[in-house]
Amino acid sequence: MGILEIKQLYKCFGHHKVLKGLDMDVPEHSIFGFVGKNGAGKTTMKIILGLLKADSGSVTVCGEEVRYGETKTNRNIGFLPDVPEFYGYMNPLEYLKLCGEITGLTKSRIKTRSEELLELVGLKDANKKIGGFSRGMKQRLGIAQALLNEPKLLICDEPTSALDPIGRKEILDILLAAKGKTTIVFSTHILSDVERICDRIAVLHDGKLALCGTISENKKRHRHNGFAIEFENEKDALLFENTEELKHPSINLSRDGNAVTVLLTDSNMDGHFILDVLSQMRIVPLRFEVMEPTLESMFMEVVQ
Amino acid sequence: MRGYLVFLKKELFEYTKTYKLLIMVLVFVIFGITNPLVAKLTPVILKSFMTDGIIITLPEPTAYDAWMQFFKNATQMGIIVMVILFSGVLSSELSKGTLINLLTKGLSRKSVILSKYTCMVLVWTVSIALCFGLTYGYTVYLFPKEDTPNLLFSVSCLWLFGLFLLAVLLFSAALVKSSYGCLFITVIVMAACIIMNIIPSIHRYNPISLATDNMGLLVGSIEASSLYDAILVSSLFSMIFVSLSAMIFQKKQL
Repeated sequence: MGILEIKQLYKCFGHHKVLKGLDMDVPEHSIFGFVGKNGAGKTTMKIILGLLKADSGSVTVCGEEVRYGETKTNRNIGFLPDVPEFYGYMNPLEYLKLCGEITGLTKSRIKTRSEELLELVGLKDANKKIGGFSRGMKQRLGIAQALLNEPKLLICDEPTSALDPIGRKEILDILLAAKGKTTIVFSTHILSDVERICDRIAVLHDGKLALCGTISENKKRHRHNGFAIEFENEKDALLFENTEELKHPSINLSRDGNAVTVLLTDSNMDGHFILDVLSQMRIVPLRFEVMEPTLESMFMEVVQ
Repeated sequence: MRGYLVFLKKELFEYTKTYKLLIMVLVFVIFGITNPLVAKLTPVILKSFMTDGIIITLPEPTAYDAWMQFFKNATQMGIIVMVILFSGVLSSELSKGTLINLLTKGLSRKSVILSKYTCMVLVWTVSIALCFGLTYGYTVYLFPKEDTPNLLFSVSCLWLFGLFLLAVLLFSAALVKSSYGCLFITVIVMAACIIMNIIPSIHRYNPISLATDNMGLLVGSIEASSLYDAILVSSLFSMIFVSLSAMIFQKKQL
């Protein structure tokens, strides 16, 4: 059983249908990258947190159903909003103390957890009021408060979208460090972030899941019969490009200098066919590579 | 219950740190000190303006004048300052998003409403108590040996009216998003109360009587028992408004 299960979730704002029967299952101890159009991710997250009411469908967190307006299931969840806002007149320790008291941690536990987490997010020496914090510092404090009660599920809403490259790397590293202890669901528009830390990806398109599963699985599934072949010189490349056997509507050729890219759209053909052609022509290429699909190409494909 | 206490502590901390408590207390302390002084000094001030040709005869100031100042200031400026200060009670937290974080930590929405109301009531109680204490002390000092009947009852009525007003304020805050909307609804409710007060049969039950009949109680033109109905109605409606606020806030999409 997954730590978070979403079944047939529907939600519309006025005439705008944001979710049209979303099904999702997040297994324990995974980092789940959630990619979707603007708004869809946030809506889903708010429904999971019981802040928004779904039109229909169910959400279960750790086997317990989420009910709108109630916050019982939230004890298992840590949430990092996209722009976390805190009480500006408090300092980080005071804020974490407030959060700890709300979740019902003991005094000594709050103290040790706060120190650990501020160390983890690199705010150990920031003893000033939160009002004077930069965006990146607030984001880090956001992670600290989200991890305070050792949640089974950590939900991050575009944690890296407004940060500079260094800040982004640091946040991703912190999330990666938290991986073993909790399950992370994070929404983002930055595919390279997903590639870097996620082991699972979900692409939301048109209110439904268009793509879901582990990244390697998906790459396997979306692997095209694409090959990059590099020749020793342009003459060989030209010769190969103009072979009669390759003049077929299901074969796409494109040449750039010494390199030729071959795309086979017919599923009956595979790499052997090209290798046969090459051996018939008695050409040994410098490089023969099966092209891996990138997340971007996969994304473009499923949202089209 | 735990959430309620923790959030109440946070609210009190917030009022001290953001100087709201200071402003409230300062305003009411200044009133408390100046009420009897103004009563005592008004004839002196007026006398200094008098030239030879004009003669104004002024009655000797009494303790009643001091209490008149007290009820005038507390029900006008005092209440206005309070309502403006508290108008952002929910909207500021909702628009900034500071509350969402705590709600996602398992803080119940009911606790938020109840602790916010408790905190406002506490601030109002401290302010009015300070103002009353200071006015009382100075009045006894400046106008000794003067007895004012029904004084404590009269002030309690005013205090209860404050509770009613805060409940209305909280209800409007739960109803609309912006602090201006909240102010607007509160003002409308107050205006409705004032207009309805014209009808004598309603006056008896109208919460606003608690803030308009105070001097009458002191001079004896109004019987204490004539306000019992208004007290009952105010208490009842305060409870209804607070419960409604909690119910509306529970269903609010954040």
